[in-house]
Amino acid sequence: MGSLAQILVNGILLGSMYGIAAIGLSLIFGTMRIIFLAQGTMIVLFAYLTYWSFEKAGIDPYLSLFTVIPLAFVVGLGLFYLLFRKAAALEDKNVSLLLAVGLMYLVDNLILKIWGATPRGINLSYSGAVLVIGEIRISWLRFALLGLALASALVVYLFLKKTRVGTAVRAASEDMEATTLQGINSVWVCAISFAIGIALAGVAGVGMATVYSFDYQFGFIFAIKALVALALGGIGNVFGALAGGLLLGIIENLAAYYIGIAWIEVASYGVFMLVLIFLPQGLFGRRGLVKKV
Amino acid sequence: MLEVKELSVAYGDVRALWDVSLEVEEGSIVALVGANGAGKTTLLKAISGLLRPTNGRILFEDEDLVNLSTKHRVDRGIVMVPEGRRLFQTLTVLENLRLGAYLPKARAVFDDSLERVFTLFPLLKARMNGKAGLMSGGEQQMLAIGRAVMARPRLVMIDEASLGLSPILTRTIFDLIVALNEQGTTVLLVEQNIHMALKICNKAYVMKTGHMVLSGTGEELLANDDVRKAYVGERGSRL
Repeated sequence: MGSLAQILVNGILLGSMYGIAAIGLSLIFGTMRIIFLAQGTMIVLFAYLTYWSFEKAGIDPYLSLFTVIPLAFVVGLGLFYLLFRKAAALEDKNVSLLLAVGLMYLVDNLILKIWGATPRGINLSYSGAVLVIGEIRISWLRFALLGLALASALVVYLFLKKTRVGTAVRAASEDMEATTLQGINSVWVCAISFAIGIALAGVAGVGMATVYSFDYQFGFIFAIKALVALALGGIGNVFGALAGGLLLGIIENLAAYYIGIAWIEVASYGVFMLVLIFLPQGLFGRRGLVKKV
Repeated sequence: MLEVKELSVAYGDVRALWDVSLEVEEGSIVALVGANGAGKTTLLKAISGLLRPTNGRILFEDEDLVNLSTKHRVDRGIVMVPEGRRLFQTLTVLENLRLGAYLPKARAVFDDSLERVFTLFPLLKARMNGKAGLMSGGEQQMLAIGRAVMARPRLVMIDEASLGLSPILTRTIFDLIVALNEQGTTVLLVEQNIHMALKICNKAYVMKTGHMVLSGTGEELLANDDVRKAYVGERGSRL
């Protein structure tokens, strides 16, 4: 324990959650041009649903992936058509951004009303299972998070590269009007990418439920962490967003070990600022959160 | 084929088109000329459905398009090549062409259309898997037109095809537009290179500050003193 390798591994496993969330943010940002601040809250909501179906019906969290992902996708479609359809078409993106903030607090408080303020978490029979490689010890559940993150990135990547609708999503993130001129229903394209973003929140929610304890306020912090990951990785590249998440996880773990636990947040937001100032397009992205002029 | 009747368009409170009428006959090349800000692009955008008119009608084969979305207009065969090409720069040439043939009808004849595009623009075949944004201006314009051809247009509206191109490339693009027309596609052309546009068109319209001010055959307008002075230049030899 305590070796550099162990720290790196822990960082990567922590970062895989940020990575999944960042891929979702990146997809939504691509077509709607807003930072979907409610992403973290959606993750927490799906974590609660996973927790709830485990407590009430004894459904294994990994089994609930099969219900949570489609559910999240449908919730995403519904939210888009209910809240964002009109706002997304506006030149002024502040309306969408404010809607996202409103949604975040609404869902936060909905969670508080339903499940209360006590932090929740799932205790699985196999929670303690540990994988040992030489000196390094990895909890199987955390290791599975990395698997979820890699699988999510791969699925989204293949969707964007290999499918017709995915190609349209890439086109729309570049030029919405030109996409419309091809006879493509750009509202539907936005809806699909938003729904996939929320489906990824579903994946992250299941992951969160298996490893973390969470409460109704956890969402905002998580969304900001995903945003930091996205700034690191850069927008327009699925694996870049994932890598940004992993990198953030590593930075946080290094800071915790070498400086002190209390410095984790200072380190990650410090890196956030530095990246925005000196590397606005991110490490692997085609463009950053801030447009280069 | 296309009949625009007393069309008015406004951006918010600012009116951009005032009772504009225009007719495009099947199989013809129609040029739409005028100074910057005359409303040519606005008219094309209204025909393609990107802008909603406040008044007037747009008839395509006697069907009123005003309440149809861009998607349905593309499906009817009205396709626009926007000013500045507006390619998907980070996508490959082939992906751009695929998006041109997005709707089911066009997709069904994708292979055939692709061959047609590659015959018209052999350069694009060699660049098929390269990123669109990495090509030269002329190649990009060819791709922009090729992307429209993939949609199997019956009427293709080309906005400023020669903008930023060298005289030689401009001529090439014009030749290709004529070739496209000879294959049966009706063309509505917005051009700042008025001399060339008037030479290849069957009919031309002149717009000024949101109004349609003049129309006639290309020769008529080329012979018109006002047009010559205002748009073509003294010697009429911008090429």
